[in-house]
Amino acid sequence: MTFAALPANAKVFNAETFTLENGLQVIVVPNHRAPVVTHMAWYKVGAVDEPQGLSGMAHYLEHLLFKGTKTLAPGEFSRIVKRLGGNDNAFTGQDYTAYFQSIAKQHLPEMMRMEADRMVNLQVPPEHFKSEKKVVLEERRQRTENDPKGLFGEQMRSALFANHAYGTPVIGWMHEIKEYEWDDIQKFYNSWYAPNNAIVIISGDVTADEVRPMAEASYGQIEPKELPKRLNSKVPPAIGKTLMTLSHETIHQPVWQNIRLAPSYGQNRQDSLALQVLEEIMSGSATTRLYQNLVVDQKRAISVGLSYSGSARYTGVITLYGSPAQGVTLEELAADVQAQIKAVIKDGVTQDEIKDAVQRLQDSADYARDSLSGPAMTIGFNMLTGSTLDDIENWPDDIAGVTAEDVKRVAALYLDDDNPWRRVSVTGHLLPISEKEEMKADNKEAKNEGVE
Amino acid sequence: MRIILTFFALVILFSPACAREENKDKVLDIKKVVSEKGIEAWLVEDHSLPVIALQFTFKGAGTINESAEKQGLVRLLSNTMDEGAGDLTAQQFQKALGDHSISLSFSAGRDDFSGSLKTLTRHKDKAFELTKLAVNNPRFDEEPLERMLQANMARIRTSMGDPDWIAARLFNDIIYEGHPYALNSGGTLSSLPKITADDLRHFHRKFLTRDRLVVGVTGDITADALKILLDDVFGSLKLGETSAAFEDIQPQNAGQIFVYEKDIPQSIISVTLPAMKINDPDYDVLRVMNYILGGGGFGSRLMEEAREKRGLTYGIYSGTAHQNHVDIMKVSTSTKNQSAKEMIDIIKAEMTKITSDPVSENELADAKSYLIGSLLLSMTSTDKVASILASLQADDRPIDYLDEFENKINAVTIDDIQRVAKRVLTSKNMTTIIVGKPEGLSGVIQKDSLPNVE
Repeated sequence: MTFAALPANAKVFNAETFTLENGLQVIVVPNHRAPVVTHMAWYKVGAVDEPQGLSGMAHYLEHLLFKGTKTLAPGEFSRIVKRLGGNDNAFTGQDYTAYFQSIAKQHLPEMMRMEADRMVNLQVPPEHFKSEKKVVLEERRQRTENDPKGLFGEQMRSALFANHAYGTPVIGWMHEIKEYEWDDIQKFYNSWYAPNNAIVIISGDVTADEVRPMAEASYGQIEPKELPKRLNSKVPPAIGKTLMTLSHETIHQPVWQNIRLAPSYGQNRQDSLALQVLEEIMSGSATTRLYQNLVVDQKRAISVGLSYSGSARYTGVITLYGSPAQGVTLEELAADVQAQIKAVIKDGVTQDEIKDAVQRLQDSADYARDSLSGPAMTIGFNMLTGSTLDDIENWPDDIAGVTAEDVKRVAALYLDDDNPWRRVSVTGHLLPISEKEEMKADNKEAKNEGVE
Repeated sequence: MRIILTFFALVILFSPACAREENKDKVLDIKKVVSEKGIEAWLVEDHSLPVIALQFTFKGAGTINESAEKQGLVRLLSNTMDEGAGDLTAQQFQKALGDHSISLSFSAGRDDFSGSLKTLTRHKDKAFELTKLAVNNPRFDEEPLERMLQANMARIRTSMGDPDWIAARLFNDIIYEGHPYALNSGGTLSSLPKITADDLRHFHRKFLTRDRLVVGVTGDITADALKILLDDVFGSLKLGETSAAFEDIQPQNAGQIFVYEKDIPQSIISVTLPAMKINDPDYDVLRVMNYILGGGGFGSRLMEEAREKRGLTYGIYSGTAHQNHVDIMKVSTSTKNQSAKEMIDIIKAEMTKITSDPVSENELADAKSYLIGSLLLSMTSTDKVASILASLQADDRPIDYLDEFENKINAVTIDDIQRVAKRVLTSKNMTTIIVGKPEGLSGVIQKDSLPNVE
């Protein structure tokens, strides 16, 4: 889980929740600072649920939800929101698709009515289906294809998540986006967009008592559906090291990256909590281990970090990364980072480190409420990636339960290069062209140590 | 200041929030607080959460004051002020911030230099004490200075492959040609290493002065408590000496199209025009006109034509930017290289259309209701409110400016829109800058090298 909030034993958000007869769960986070609300509809379907060969479809469908229903013209949804002084948008991930509006609270019933409408009444004119396809291709060019580093990142994930849909980018592969037709999309929409596959979250100047009749009048009118079975292919073991290298004229700063599998919160709650504390101890601030030791004290790196992403319906990921200081190779930097991890595996962490890390994480929960949409985002994101509402509310207390022994154990289990968990990690090297040529020169004339 | 370099894109789309309590007639209940030593701050009290945000700005202390030789100086100052101050070394200072979950950061704008503080109420005293040290007694020790230098050099090298960053370098150089704004406020690979601790000390002493200071505060703090803290943090600042005056300029190279060729599938396009100052009587009309043309995202004319009807782009936006010495309107977009000419033609056609045909009643009414209705959504977190309070003062706005906003927007007429469109949207004033391999354009000026990078 990723956020931060409160005195011990307090709930993070004090959210209220109820479930409609058709299975739709509604969560309300009261926040009465201003007469505004954020209304979000989260669907438990994302890129991971796409049939093979139709990558990017969940995201493309998200675009199409702005393109009209039986009663709204293309683009009208957003025009109405704007006219009422609100903002709206949507986003798609591997595990979820979410739509939201932030707006004055008196317009909430209208927002719920419109969101419920496009849950089941999508109707996109064919010419808009075609033009929106071009928009998504431009989006992919802008986000990914304009920078070779974007393509490289996709390739790394593909290698790590062999045989799993997480290895396919959310936006989809260029050649597949071009292929699919309206029928494919419609089938996907009809299968997954249903009240019993959604959570509606409202944060702002309302209470659950106020929201309930609005929800019943809108979402409550929709019949539940029988949902398709979810496929969960498993990532097989890998015993060989994967090293990917990209030398490109646009790269001027060498970068080292390493990604590996880790348990998600839903797969292993205890270990996930310990990994969150380990992440904070290694990489939480400018005075924690990796930065302090490798950037400040040893001058081996210009930047370095560890990031654990345990919010996932299936498996999580740990990313290690860094830019080396002048004269340090990427291999040497990798060894330096691994040495930092080995130190935790061998000697553990101190009580002070645990205490400080837990305090910073708990404080972050205090800040989490200082936002209108933030609580709805945090709750939705975590509930669709393996947490329950109680998990989220009690997170500060749960984090405080992590011990130094837990941290040491998960470091050894998930971060030891000599004893990898499930499969060997995937390493990426980004190198300037010149360095690659210099490395070749190094290899050819191994004794020529004058070559830098 | 820890600069993190990584190529994993982090997409954060959201804005936090906060706002009105007792006084329902006002958008924000802003109090003017003056301390014993005469430090003034605008305060919005909000005790609903144990959080306090402080934003302070030194007007005219921005990167505009840098020489070409030492461009990046003010950025480096912003990176090092929180790296050791008073008796605390860089690591001791950063540890004190981290252990108390205090966010303190400084930023170098073109015109102004700013600081932002966010803290939990229970760490208020520590937070203001550290801010006081950073503002008054930064150390500029050799180790953190060198470390921040290296981080900035790496940032530049990392950015050199980013087409948007490349476009920004060209933009400054071409639009602000001949003016200090043309320099790279992030520094260059050759200028940054020339900057010494004495340069930072000198700039700090000369520009971070009391006469330039404006302060905005929001959150869980009373006026009386704030007064004491204001004196403590800012009360020892000296009054400044006069500094160099700068000339106003218009965007340069009107009528030209510049292309920096890069082997990518899209062309990244910007079109820039001269606009009016924020105290111009037409400023509010400009806001409404901009919203209708391209400021509003979905539903704006440019988005409808380029994205919704033709599928040419993921996004197209217009916006205005107002510095002390230049005011511009800019349209930004990207499209596949084959469509670059079509895109520029659409932008021109929409400029002509809004200039020659009156906007509809509905369009104007929708624009007004959005601009008025969404005002509250921009104030939904303590740091956002503090930042608005500081900007209002930096712009010399009256304390009731936000309360007048609705009336001003409502006063805008269809004729006003057309008049201001004629004033701003003249295609002969367009300066067009493209990164990519655009097709179908003639009479372009090729740029072969990137200014202010090496």
